[in-house]
Amino acid sequence: MDTLHRGLTQAKLKNSPRLWAGFAIPGAVWLTVLFVIPFYAVACVAFGTIDPVFRDAVPQWNPLSWDFVQAKQIFTSLATGPLQGVAIRTVVYVVCAMTLCFVIGFPIAYFLARHAGKRKLLLLVLIIVPFWVNYLMRMLAWVNLLSVDGLFTRFMRNFGVNYNWLDGSPITVILGLVYGYIPFLILPLYATLERLDWRLVDAARDLGAKPRQAFRLVTVPMSKAGLVAAGILIALPMFGDYYTNDLLSRSPSTEMIGNQIDFFLNASTLPQNGALLVLALSLFLLLFMSFYLRSTRQQSRQVTR
Amino acid sequence: MGRRDFLRNLAITSGAITIGGSLLAACGDSSSPTVVGGLQIGTPDNPIKLAVTTDAIADGLPNESGTLEILNWADYQNPESIAIFEEKFGCKVVTSIYDTEEAAIAKLRNGTFKPDLILGMTDTGLAKLIAADLLQPLNKSYIPNFENVISGLRSPYYDLDSQYTVPYFIYGNGIGYRTDRIDKNAFASNGYDTLWDSKFSGKLGVLDSYRDTLAMAMFRAGNFDANTTDAAVIQKAGDDLIALREATNPKVDILAYQEMPAGNRDINFTWSGDLFTALQYLPEGVSPDVLGFWYPEKTVAKNDFMCITKSAKAPVLAHQLINFLSDTDNALLNREYVGYQPALESITVDLLISSGTIPESLIEALVTPEKYDAGLAQVSLEPTVDSLWLEQWTRFTAG
Repeated sequence: MDTLHRGLTQAKLKNSPRLWAGFAIPGAVWLTVLFVIPFYAVACVAFGTIDPVFRDAVPQWNPLSWDFVQAKQIFTSLATGPLQGVAIRTVVYVVCAMTLCFVIGFPIAYFLARHAGKRKLLLLVLIIVPFWVNYLMRMLAWVNLLSVDGLFTRFMRNFGVNYNWLDGSPITVILGLVYGYIPFLILPLYATLERLDWRLVDAARDLGAKPRQAFRLVTVPMSKAGLVAAGILIALPMFGDYYTNDLLSRSPSTEMIGNQIDFFLNASTLPQNGALLVLALSLFLLLFMSFYLRSTRQQSRQVTR
Repeated sequence: MGRRDFLRNLAITSGAITIGGSLLAACGDSSSPTVVGGLQIGTPDNPIKLAVTTDAIADGLPNESGTLEILNWADYQNPESIAIFEEKFGCKVVTSIYDTEEAAIAKLRNGTFKPDLILGMTDTGLAKLIAADLLQPLNKSYIPNFENVISGLRSPYYDLDSQYTVPYFIYGNGIGYRTDRIDKNAFASNGYDTLWDSKFSGKLGVLDSYRDTLAMAMFRAGNFDANTTDAAVIQKAGDDLIALREATNPKVDILAYQEMPAGNRDINFTWSGDLFTALQYLPEGVSPDVLGFWYPEKTVAKNDFMCITKSAKAPVLAHQLINFLSDTDNALLNREYVGYQPALESITVDLLISSGTIPESLIEALVTPEKYDAGLAQVSLEPTVDSLWLEQWTRFTAG
C-alpha cells in the first residue's frame, strides 16, 4: 500500500507542472524586485526628462509618454559619433580579455578537473584565496606593483622589459580585466569539466584518436555549455567595467563604455545619457544571453534525445 | 578625493543653472537678478542679494549639547582641528561625506542628508540650495572671526553681504610640474603650450573636469571667457584637447597630488591647492622643491564656503564651528591636513612662507587676494550651451 501510495505521489508530482512552477516563484519575485523593476526605472530615467531647475533626472513612469529624442542622439553617437570609438574599443578589449582568460583559464580548469588528484581542493583554494580580497584593493595593489618604481616593474627589468605599465596602456587595462575576472571563468569551467564523462575521451583514444583530436572532437564539444556559461559570466561585468580602467589607466585612449556611463551618471548634467548607455549596453549583452540560452536549449534537446 | 570629485564636477552642477542670453541680458542690471535655468544666480557682473525667507537664530543663545552633524568632502577637514573643537565645546562632531555637489543637494532635498553644517559648497550649488530653501541665514554675532576673511570675499557676488555663507578655501587653476624635470622657463611665453609637448607623453595629466580643462584650452587660444556660449570657441577647445591627447596620451583625473610627488607625472594641469596636498605624498628623502607650479596670469580662481542648513538641530554649534575654522591658528592647523589655502586675509603669503611648510618652488601656487580678484569666474551654463561643452568633452575623453 505504501509503495503504491509513493508511486502515485511521484506520478502526481511528475504530472504537476504547476507545482514545479511554484518552486520558481521565490526566484521570480527576487528577479522582479531586484532586476525587472530597477531595469524599468533605468528605462524611465533614460526616456524621461530633466528637472529644469535642479537638473536631476526625472523618470517618466508612463511608457506612453517616453521621449526618445535623447535616445536617438546617443545611439547615433554610438554608431557614428564621438562614442563610436568607445563602443568599438570596449568590444575589442573584452574580446581580447576573454580570449586570454580562455587561453589561461581552460588549461587550469582542465588540470584541476583531470589531473589534480588529491591536491584538487588545495589548488582550488589557492586560486580562490586572492579573490577574497576586494577587487578594488587588488587593483590598487597592482597600481603600486606596476608603478615606475614598483616591484613588478623592477622585476621585469631583470628580463630586459622596461615598460611603463601605467602610462595609459591598453595592454595594462586588458591584463587588468583578465586578472580581475579569470576566477569567474575557471570555477564554472572546472565544474563543467569535472562532471564530464571522461570514458568518452578514453573511447575516442581507443578508437584511434590522437590526444589533440580527442580534445577537439570530444572534450571541447562536451564542455561547450560550460565554456559559454563561463564566457557569459565574465563578459557581462567586463562590458560594464569602469574601475579597472580608472585605476590602471585613466587615459582617454583606453576609455570604455562603463567610464562614459560613470561620467554621465555621476559627473554631468545629462544623467539621462548614462541611463541610455546602460540600455544600449544591455541590448548588446542580450545578444550574448540569447546565444547562451539558444546553446543550452540545444544541448538539453540533445540530452533528452 | 571626494571633494576633488566635487571640484571636478563643478561644471556638473553648473550645468544645472546657466548663463546664456538671459544672463547676458541681465549683466550690469543690478536691480534684477540673473535668472538662468529657472534659478537666480549671482555673477561677478551682476552680484545677487539672496532672499531671506527665515530669521537667523537669535543672539546669545547657549551652545547645544550633543552632536553637531557636518556634511563635507572626504579629507577636507583636519581631524585634529575637529577634536580640539569637540573638546572646547563639549560636543561630538559627526561627519558625513559627499562625492558630488549634485548628489549632495539631491540627498539634502530628499532628506537623506540632514546635517547642521555643510562645508565645501560652491556658488553653483548655492543657487540650488537657496531655490530648495535648504539654508538658514547666518547670525554674524557668533562669527567674530568673519573679519579675518579676505576682504574681497566678505560680500561675494554669489551672496552679497554673506548672508548665508562664509568662505572656506580658495584655489586657482594652473600647471603643476616637477622642477627636477622641467625648467620654469618652459612657461615663459605661453605656458599652456607645455601641455601639448609630446616629450611629456605618458607623463602628463589634465583635470577630469570639463569646465576647467576645456576653459584651459580656450585660455591657451586667447579666449578668456570661461563661460563662453560661442559654439565655435567650444568646438576649437575640443579640437585642441584632441590634439593634446594625440600628442601626449594624457591622464584625465584628479590625482595630481599623488602622481606628481610619486614621480609618475612630470606635468599636470590642476588646482593650485593640489600641490600643497602633494607635499604630504612626497616619498621619504625627496625634497619638497621638486614640486613647482605655474600660475597663469589669467586663469580661473574660485572659493568654496561653509553654510548652515535650515533644519539644523545644533545651529549655534554650527555657527561656532564656522567661527572656529575662521580663526587664523585653527585655519592654519586645518590647512596642514587639507593642503588647500584658507580664504582668510590673515593667512598671508608671508605667514605661510614663514610657517616653513611652503617650499619656495610653490610660492607661486599661493592665491593672493590680488590673484583671486584677477581670477576668472565660472558660472553656470544654459543647458543647451552646457551640452555643447559636454559634447566636446566626450570627443576628448572618448578617445
